[in-house]
Amino acid sequence: MKSIKYIIIFIIALTTSSVFAQEEVVFEAKVSKKKLGINERLRIDFVMNKDGDNFSPPSFENFTIVGGPSQAINNSWINGVKSFSKTYSYFLAPKKRGKFSISQSTIEIEGETYKTLPVVIQVTAAVDKPKDPNDPNYIASQNVHLVAEVSNANPYLNEAITVVYKLYISPNTGIDPWRVLDNPRYNNFWSLNIDMKEYKLINTTFKGEDYRYVILRKTVLYPQKTGKLVIEPLTLDVKVQVPTNRRNFFGERQMSIVNRTVAAGNRTIQVKPLPEEGKPLDFTGAVGDFNFKVTTNKSELKATEALEAKIGVSGKGNLKLFKLPKLTLPSSLEVYEPEHNEKVSTNLSGMQGNISDSYTIVPSFQGNYPIPSVSFSYFDLKTKSYKTIVSKELIVNVTDGPVNGALTANKDEDKGNNKHSVEMSSSQFAAFKTRTNLVTIETRDFFKSKMFWSFLLLPFLAIPIAIFVRRKKDQRDGDVVGNRIRKANKLARKYLGEAKKALGQKESFYNALERALHNYLKSKLSIVTIEFSKEKIQELLKEKAVNIATAVAFNELLESCELARYTPLSDVEMQQDYDKAARVISALDKQIR
Amino acid sequence: MKKTIYILILLISSLSTAQNTALFDEGNASYNEGDFQEAITRYEDVLNTGVHSSELYFNLANAYYKLNRVAPSIYYYEKAQQLAPNDKDIQNNLSFANNMTIDAIESIPEIGFSKLFKSVTNKFSFDIWAVLAVVSVLLFVSFFLSYYFSYSTNKKRFLFLSSITSLCLMVLTLAFAFQKFSYDQKDNPAIVFAQESDIKVEPNLRSETAFELHEGTKVQIIENYKNNWTKIKLTDGKTGWIATQDIKAL
Repeated sequence: MKSIKYIIIFIIALTTSSVFAQEEVVFEAKVSKKKLGINERLRIDFVMNKDGDNFSPPSFENFTIVGGPSQAINNSWINGVKSFSKTYSYFLAPKKRGKFSISQSTIEIEGETYKTLPVVIQVTAAVDKPKDPNDPNYIASQNVHLVAEVSNANPYLNEAITVVYKLYISPNTGIDPWRVLDNPRYNNFWSLNIDMKEYKLINTTFKGEDYRYVILRKTVLYPQKTGKLVIEPLTLDVKVQVPTNRRNFFGERQMSIVNRTVAAGNRTIQVKPLPEEGKPLDFTGAVGDFNFKVTTNKSELKATEALEAKIGVSGKGNLKLFKLPKLTLPSSLEVYEPEHNEKVSTNLSGMQGNISDSYTIVPSFQGNYPIPSVSFSYFDLKTKSYKTIVSKELIVNVTDGPVNGALTANKDEDKGNNKHSVEMSSSQFAAFKTRTNLVTIETRDFFKSKMFWSFLLLPFLAIPIAIFVRRKKDQRDGDVVGNRIRKANKLARKYLGEAKKALGQKESFYNALERALHNYLKSKLSIVTIEFSKEKIQELLKEKAVNIATAVAFNELLESCELARYTPLSDVEMQQDYDKAARVISALDKQIR
Repeated sequence: MKKTIYILILLISSLSTAQNTALFDEGNASYNEGDFQEAITRYEDVLNTGVHSSELYFNLANAYYKLNRVAPSIYYYEKAQQLAPNDKDIQNNLSFANNMTIDAIESIPEIGFSKLFKSVTNKFSFDIWAVLAVVSVLLFVSFFLSYYFSYSTNKKRFLFLSSITSLCLMVLTLAFAFQKFSYDQKDNPAIVFAQESDIKVEPNLRSETAFELHEGTKVQIIENYKNNWTKIKLTDGKTGWIATQDIKAL
């Protein structure tokens, strides 16, 4: 730019000088640089286009004059136009840091005094190496740049980013083949270098200037850690062709070759963690855009045959960087370690392809085996949300083979017998049952119920009761008098019950009494029906060897029964007859065997 | 009056059983045509009326098995087996259903005397043992009384021995009844219904996961905590807490 300015000024000066015929006088101060390190030097030229006298330099306070003043006069005739310039040059070294201005200098040209404008110079801290503008190394450093371009400086964890290394070369320099000195180690990244097959020079602008660049290398990175991560620089040794001031015979500039070490500066990347919100439980770190499938190569097979189940993820994303979900299978299936397959290609946009786990399964028993649904979760970068794909549940039907846990069917066939014996194969899934006997679900337990306890304990009570009863009986058997009374009472109760009820009513009482006496004899002597005359009774009693007194008493009773129909009798007599009847019956009972 | 009520009750009950049998037959027809969902609905209608049978549970379990629903299938096979412990068809189909389960849990085998004792105890339900105890009590009392009332020495000796034997029998059967009762009290099996369930070390969600169980696994319930958590024990002796809604008690 500066040079352009100078050229323009020069052209203007030329044209004006030609147009206005040297009327314009130019006197100005030119510095080699306006900003320099304290250990650098500065050249200041005071240039005029007409010869003058009495040049007085400025005071140069804060600077020491290292060289100068030197005078140079330049006269040239080009196409009949004369140009003239006279230059006073000083080489200055700054004394201290800061901003200083070089004050005006004056000169008298054709009797008039001209002044330069003051120049402000900034003196900075010492630079590593005083830059000598003519040093080829310096030129090389100014004209060759290595830049690492990062596609995304703020990616998510496991989001692919690319780093493109570009070597910028200014148009007036050239480069010879380079050598990589230091390959960056991408700590905390999963990285893949994509080396370029050919290098193309592409014109571009760099920092506002015309440049050419060549892409050296592309690298795909997957950050594996959150936070600030540093990408180490790539360092190259480049042979740079630098133009020199010397020219060859044909007037072309001669190039000198300089070895130059260039490095892309450190780049820092801020890696965002994946959002915690809505993170599925089965998330294993897959980031990208995926498709998920569980397939089997057979849905029906025989036992001991092999079956292959495949869990596969395809799509774009960090395919090599997450674990596939595991297949959970019924424990009765024999499952071998899965075989892992990867078909992944990596380009600038990241990995794409598919990965899969193949399980070999051998069922040893027949039946239906479900392969449960498997879910796979990933973080979708487009929508910035988690997505879950759930595979469908698959059923594998094993048709032939033994049943787990059941007795193996005896399949031996009698070979001598031509008839095919019908055997019940127990290794089949049994069909439904056609008949049932439904009962209520509500059941009352018998055990520990009141009924149970009473049934259990009450029988024991029977023992003491039985013993007590037995004792009582023995006691009674021992008591002779009491027994007799009891017996008489019993007989009386049996036969004289009716008579007793009628006690007090003469007519019915004696009727009943008579009937009772007759009945008693009938039952005692096993007589069916005979006429009961008194003589007959006496005879019968005699036959049975009954005591005469008793027989007489019996007779008397019968007589009194007859008598009573015609004579009035008191209650007392009735009672006496009743007691007598009781006594007689009891006495008879003992004597008739 | 009383008689008519009895007749009415008998009529209604026979009517309802007839209805249930019709439902059962309808379920069987649907099952036979392959409409298992419909069959399940019918069978469950029968269950909802408050009656059951091992065959009903068996058919219901079969229908669930055909629909590949592991947990309910095993659940109803177990139910059927509770009512008919020695049915070969139930055992056979239960082993089919168990093939579908994911968890493999080994059981600790019992050995020697305890195995014998257990197998004898499990021969009968505690009600049967109780009935046996009552019968032996009655035997004992009748033998004892006849011993007490008999006079001949030989008879007396025989009856005495018999009565003592039946007394011992009664004590034994009563002990078995109690033992069986306590076994049944401790035996609270449940089936895992959740497809996958984490078994925690403590009854809360924060705690560590001890292990995982899958649909159809049979577990023993030990205790409950606040209705949300149930402590379970596996046949291999592992214990842990499971969310109560993940299991269904038999």
